[in-house]
Amino acid sequence: MSNFTKFRNKVSALVVIFAFAVMPVMAQQRGGAPAQQQQSVVGADIKGRAPVNKEILKVKLPKAEEATLSNGLRVVLLESHRVPTFTMQMVILSGGLSDPADYRGLATFTASLLREGTATRKSKDIAEQIDTLGATLVANSGLSSFTSNITSSGLVENFDQVLDIFADVVRNPKFPQEEIDKYKQRQIAQLQFLRSNPQFLAAERFQRAVYGEHPAGMIFTPVESIKKITSADLARFHSTYYRPNNAMLTIVGDVTLKEIMPKLEKAFGDWQKGDVPATKIPAAPEPGAARIQLIDRPGSVQTVLQLGNLGIERTNKDYFAVLVMNQILGAGPAARLFLNLREKNGYTYGAYSNFGGSKFRGTVVSSSEVRTDVTEGAMKEFMYELKRIRDEKVSPVELENAKRALIGSFALSLEQPNALLQNIVTQKLYDMPADYWDTYPQMVSAITADDVQRAAQKYIDLNSLQVVAVGDASKAREVLSKYGTVEVFDAEGQPMTEVKKPTQ
Amino acid sequence: MRLKQQFLTGLLALSLVLSATALAVPKGERTVHVDYKETKLKNGLRVITVEDHSAPVIAIDITYNVGSRNERQGRTGFAHLFEHMMFKGSENVGTGEHFYLIFNNGGTMNGTTNEDRTTYFEALPANQLDLALFLESDRMRSLVINKANLDNQRNAVQEERRLGVDNQPYGQSGEIQQALLYDNFAYKHTTIGSMEDLNAASVEDVAAFFKMYYAPNNAVLTLVGDFNTADALKKIKASFEAIPSQPTPPAVDMTEPQQTAERRATVDDALARLPQVDLAFKAVPGNTPDFYALQVLSAALQGGQSSRLYQSLVKDKQLVTNVGGFMDEKRGVGALYTSATLKPGVKTADVEAAIYDEIEKLKKDGIADWELQKAKNTTRRNFINGMQSSLSRAIQMSVWTVYYNDPNLINTRLDKVAAVTKEDVQRVANKYLTATNRTVVITMPKPKGATTAAKQ
Repeated sequence: MSNFTKFRNKVSALVVIFAFAVMPVMAQQRGGAPAQQQQSVVGADIKGRAPVNKEILKVKLPKAEEATLSNGLRVVLLESHRVPTFTMQMVILSGGLSDPADYRGLATFTASLLREGTATRKSKDIAEQIDTLGATLVANSGLSSFTSNITSSGLVENFDQVLDIFADVVRNPKFPQEEIDKYKQRQIAQLQFLRSNPQFLAAERFQRAVYGEHPAGMIFTPVESIKKITSADLARFHSTYYRPNNAMLTIVGDVTLKEIMPKLEKAFGDWQKGDVPATKIPAAPEPGAARIQLIDRPGSVQTVLQLGNLGIERTNKDYFAVLVMNQILGAGPAARLFLNLREKNGYTYGAYSNFGGSKFRGTVVSSSEVRTDVTEGAMKEFMYELKRIRDEKVSPVELENAKRALIGSFALSLEQPNALLQNIVTQKLYDMPADYWDTYPQMVSAITADDVQRAAQKYIDLNSLQVVAVGDASKAREVLSKYGTVEVFDAEGQPMTEVKKPTQ
Repeated sequence: MRLKQQFLTGLLALSLVLSATALAVPKGERTVHVDYKETKLKNGLRVITVEDHSAPVIAIDITYNVGSRNERQGRTGFAHLFEHMMFKGSENVGTGEHFYLIFNNGGTMNGTTNEDRTTYFEALPANQLDLALFLESDRMRSLVINKANLDNQRNAVQEERRLGVDNQPYGQSGEIQQALLYDNFAYKHTTIGSMEDLNAASVEDVAAFFKMYYAPNNAVLTLVGDFNTADALKKIKASFEAIPSQPTPPAVDMTEPQQTAERRATVDDALARLPQVDLAFKAVPGNTPDFYALQVLSAALQGGQSSRLYQSLVKDKQLVTNVGGFMDEKRGVGALYTSATLKPGVKTADVEAAIYDEIEKLKKDGIADWELQKAKNTTRRNFINGMQSSLSRAIQMSVWTVYYNDPNLINTRLDKVAAVTKEDVQRVANKYLTATNRTVVITMPKPKGATTAAKQ
C-alpha cells in the first residue's frame, strides 16, 4: 500500500523538529534490555549516562465485546470511559477491489457520495445536522482496499441523534444526479491541484511502477471513470455490497453494550441481507526489472526520492521479521536512514522507510526529500543503507532497541482507544487468532538478527528495485543515470524525450 | 480510573436549552476536569503536575517563553534553528541521544516552535520518568554548542523550509501574506525564517540565546500521568532546582497599529496549477472575548460542509474546489484567515466577491441558533477528545501558562466559548471583517510559455 499519507496545503506557522507521527503498535510483556553503555551509532553519539529503566512495562490490553443484531450484523464494542465521546464505524467488507476492471473508482464514488442525500435528507440537511451536533461523518474506500468505511464521532450525549443520521446515510443514500455532477467537477479539479504536489507525483509513479495494472497501481480515481459515474451505477454498487451480512459495526467510547444494543437494533435490525458476490483478491504482479523513473517538475528545489518494491501480505509469516527490519532501517528518527541522511549528512529534513500489507502484497519503501544538489549524495547513502541491511547482520544493540521500541510503545497506545479498536478490527478482517495482539510481543521478541537479514535480502531486492524521483530533471537526470537507464516523464505521466539543459 | 467527568452548568447548558433547533435537546453535557498542582522552584521554574493513573504513561512538556517574536532583524528563523540544537547534545547526553533513547524505549517526542513559544515534549512508559527528567534537565543546564552541530541542523532546517515552503505550490504565498498583514517585526516574518538569515546564524548567537531564554525562570514544566505527585516533585527538584536563573529577558513590544486600508498582493507561482485566494482580517489576541466570538464566527462562516462558504462557493456557485479557514490564536494580535482554491477557468474577482457577499450577510443578519450550537459542540468535541492523551494535556497546560499565565484555562476554556452569544458574533463581524481591515493575496499559476521542455 502507499506510504503516502497527507498533502501539505497551507504553510503552517508551526515548525517542528520532525515531520513524524508515531503509530502505536501494541505490546504486552517484558523483553530483555540492552546494557546501557557507550554505543557507536552512525549519526548519533550515545554516551549511555542517562538512567534507562530496563524493564519493559507489562500492559494488559482491554478486550472488545461482541454481539450480533437480529439480521446478523456483527457489532464490536471497545468501552473507553476516559472522555465522554464515541466513534462508530461501519466496515463494509467490499471496497475498491470489487470495482469492475473498466470502472475503477466505483466503490470510492459510492462511499464519497453517501452523505450527499438520502430518502429523507438532502446533502445540506446532513451537513447541518452533523455539524450542529459537533459530530463528524466521513465515508471512503480506496481503489485497492477490500473494505469501505463510514465513520462518525461525537459527544456521547448526542449518540442517538448521530446514530440516526449515520444509519440513514449507510442504508438509504439516493445519490442525486445533481450532486454527482458537482462531485465530478470537484474531483477533476482536485486532481489538477494534487499534480502540483511533488509527494503526490512520487507516490503515483511509485505505485504504478510496482503494481502496473493491479488496482494498487493507481492512487487517484481515473478521469475516465469520474466522467461516466451515474446515480444508477452507485445505487447498484450500494445495493449489492452494503448489506448487514457483509458488514461489521465497530464502536469505541464512553458507552456500554447494554445501553446501545436496543438502539443499534432499532437503527439496523431491519436492514435486509443480500446475496453478496465474493471479491477475488488480485495478486500483485511479480517484481520486474529494476527501473529508474524521473518526473520532471521544473522549478523544484528538492528531489523527492522513493526506493522500494513489493513486500508482504499482512498475514505473511515474515511479518514480524519485516517489522523489526523496517524499525531498524527507517521507521523513525532513531533509525539508520534518518541518522545517516539527516543527522550525519544534513541532506534532508527526514528520511524514513515504511512497509504495509493487505490481502495482497504491500510495499517496502524508503523515501526522503533532499535539496537538488545533494541528490547524488542521498542516492549513494540510500544504496549504502539498503545494501548494508542486506549484507550485514544488525548488531545486538540495534536488534534489542528495535524490540524495546515496538513492545514498549504498547503502553502509550492505551491512551489511544481508536488505535486499539483499529487493531482489533485488523485481527478480525484478516482472520488472525483471537489472541493475536496478546502474543504480538512474543512474536517480536522471537525475531533474530538472521531473521532480519533474511527479510532484508528477500524484500529489498536490488535487482528489481524501483527508484522514483520527482524534481528538476535538467539536474537530477545525470546523477540518477549512474544507477541505470533513466526514464523521464512529465507531471501528467507522459514520457519525455528531451530535457531542458540547466540554465545557469 | 477515568478522568473526572462533570456536568456542565450555567451558561452553556442554558443557551442550549433555549436554542431552537430541529434536534432534541441533549440529555446532559459532560466535560472533563483536570486537577493539578502548581509548584514554583527556587530558581523560578514553574512546575505543574497532574497525577492520573488511568494508563501506565508519563508525559512531560517544557515550554520556554521564547518564539520567533523574539528574533531580531537579520536572524529570522533563529528560535526554531535553536530548537533543533536542543537535540544535539548536552554534558551527559550525546548528539541525537535524546530522541534515540526515547524512541528506543517505546516513547514518542517532538519539539515545536511558533511565533509565541518553543515547546519540547515526550511521552514514555511510566517507568521511564527518571529518563525524561534527566534528558530535559541536562539540556536546560548544559547544552553543547559547536559549529559542526549548528551547520548540520542549519542544513536540516533549510530542507525543512524547502519541503514546506519553497518546493510547494502556494508555499511563498503564506509568507508574503504574513509580511503584508503585520507592521510589527515580531509577527511580520515567519518562524521558519529566510535562507539568508539562517545562513547568518553563528555559534555565538546560539550561546547568547541559550543563556537569555533557556533559563528555568523563563519556562514552564508540566508533568502528566502515572506517578506519585510527592515523589515526582522531589525528583523534579533534584533535577532542575540547581540550574541557575537568569535575568528576565527583555519584553517584546507587540503593539500592532490599526490597519486603515486594504492590503493586496499578487504572487506568480511556478509550482501552482490553480489560482488561490488568501484572505486575512487583522483581529485580536487569543483568550479574549472577541477572540472566542471570532472562533464561533469562523465555524459558521467556514467550518465543515455546512458552512456558509462551503455551501455557497463549493456547492451552489461551484467556483472553488475547496474553501476553509480559521481564527488564529496568538499572544499578540491574531487574524481570521480564509483560503480558497479555484476551479479551472474561474476568476479570482468572482471568488472574492462571493466570499464578501457571505461576510456581508453575516454582518447584516448575524448567525442562526444552529450555527451557534454547531460552533460550541464542535469545539467541545475537539477539546474533549484532545484531552484523552496525557501528552496533549501536558502541552496545552504548559503553553497556556506561558501565554496567559493560566494553567486552569484547561478547565475554563469551554465556558468562555459557551459564553459567546449571537450578538457577539454579529458585533465582531462588523468590527473586524471590513474591507479596510483585510489583507488579500492572490496566487496565480505562472504561465509555462517557452521554457517548458519539449514533450513527445
